[in-house]
Amino acid sequence: MRASFVSSEVVNGLRRNVSMTIAMILTTAVSLTLLGGGLIVVRKVDQAQESLRDAADVVVYMSEDVSANDPECANDPCSGIRSELEQASGVRSVQYLNRQAIFERATEEFSNQPQLQELVRPKALPAALWVELGDNVTPRAIKEQFEGRTGIGSINDQSQFVRNMVNKLNDVRDGTFLIAALQAFAALLLISNTIQLSAFNRRTETGIMRLVGASRWYTQLPFLLEAMVSGIIGSVAATGLLMVLKEAFLDGLMKPLTNANLLTPVSYADVAFVAPILVLVASAISGLTGYLTLRLYVRI
Amino acid sequence: MIRLEHVSKTYKTLARPALDDVSVSVDKGEFVFLIGPSGSGKSTFLQLLLREEVPTRGRVIVADWNVAKLPRRRVPKLRQRVGCVFQDFRLLNNKTVFGNVAFALEVIGKPRHTIRKVVPEVLQLVGLDGKADRMPVELSGGEQQRVAIARAFVNRPLVLMCDEPTGNLDPDTSQDIMLLLERINRTGTTLVMATHDHSIVDSMRRRVVELSHGQVIRDDARGVYGVGR
Repeated sequence: MRASFVSSEVVNGLRRNVSMTIAMILTTAVSLTLLGGGLIVVRKVDQAQESLRDAADVVVYMSEDVSANDPECANDPCSGIRSELEQASGVRSVQYLNRQAIFERATEEFSNQPQLQELVRPKALPAALWVELGDNVTPRAIKEQFEGRTGIGSINDQSQFVRNMVNKLNDVRDGTFLIAALQAFAALLLISNTIQLSAFNRRTETGIMRLVGASRWYTQLPFLLEAMVSGIIGSVAATGLLMVLKEAFLDGLMKPLTNANLLTPVSYADVAFVAPILVLVASAISGLTGYLTLRLYVRI
Repeated sequence: MIRLEHVSKTYKTLARPALDDVSVSVDKGEFVFLIGPSGSGKSTFLQLLLREEVPTRGRVIVADWNVAKLPRRRVPKLRQRVGCVFQDFRLLNNKTVFGNVAFALEVIGKPRHTIRKVVPEVLQLVGLDGKADRMPVELSGGEQQRVAIARAFVNRPLVLMCDEPTGNLDPDTSQDIMLLLERINRTGTTLVMATHDHSIVDSMRRRVVELSHGQVIRDDARGVYGVGR
């Protein structure tokens, strides 16, 4: 097979069909941008879940009295509550964090918000028992069992918050994927149309190729490569679009979430992570669509 | 070289068969005219040889290949051994004379050095040396048909099929084209030519197979277009 011949056919085909080619590239780029956005959301949610996995499922904040006078949780009521929690069914671990430990943790969490860091004082924070639960117990059960006990200030169900946030991010991901799927469908139809148009424009060439004994593969390859080249250009454009969107919108939109340490910011590493996936998806989809179109609609 | 054994071809859209129990044998190096009115089955005959169509019944043998039974992937190999020339030339207007002829070799993966050697030789054979860089639109009808013949012959096929190659040409140019085809035939290439051109068939006195309503009604070794002419 002569690569120079095939590549010149591909370039000629793309040039002859330039308006359809541009439309195909743009549609592919938009759908892949959405797909890339969805993949980045998935990545961010995974990272958030990973970082929140270490967090407690339930935080039992101690009263002012306990926080101020029992830094080791050595006396009642703190020690009693701790041992009761440790023995409660479904509790995996209990960790006591006194005021100083809570302060250090808060300082670390607000490391990128110096104003908040300034406001935090050890005495303003209550000591807490961090409770990690197993699968067979709900945070609500723990809350109902211990709420209102002497020595306890309040009980915070952390997992509910994490679940809510993950659910919302999953909704965003699903919505993005849905739009990406619709766009991808439009891109498929456009790829199919472009190939049919391209084959029609070059019916004399393909007719001659068939008659002089060119193999089906040799005859189809330029069309397939045209579709794949357009798809790959679309995926590169989509990567560029993701970078532009990151700079222009995403960084600003996500600032409240990233500042609160709920999500890590979208980085160029995230875009670089999805870029090869987009190229692969674009090549596979455009190649497959091209192949099926040629087999079903075009006599070669 | 070519053998049709009790070949019939029926199209769904036609009430009567395009070919009806046709048996014809063509030896290597023969020159055969295929004549008959429009709709007599000449084009179907040629399409069967090229595996553009498959017979409904019977066997079609071309160069020891049972064409109808040939697996799809082997069809290109058959077509590399059977060249075709058409009335409408079917040249690529965006390629030069050289490019048009080279195209037939490029698409079957022949190396560039072979193409550079073979194409000028065949252009000389068809009388187009010195016109390799011309575009088809700059050529006369006869010259364009020569390019088409060069393209069909450049891969040295065993059989050359011509479907009314002089149909668009004036009588003098037609004579020149026939001389060229005769020259190609003398190289040992079997030639099957469908035509309506009385004068050419009558003047050349070659084998004539006449079709009518899909049947062979005459097969003369040195025939003329119409009996009694």
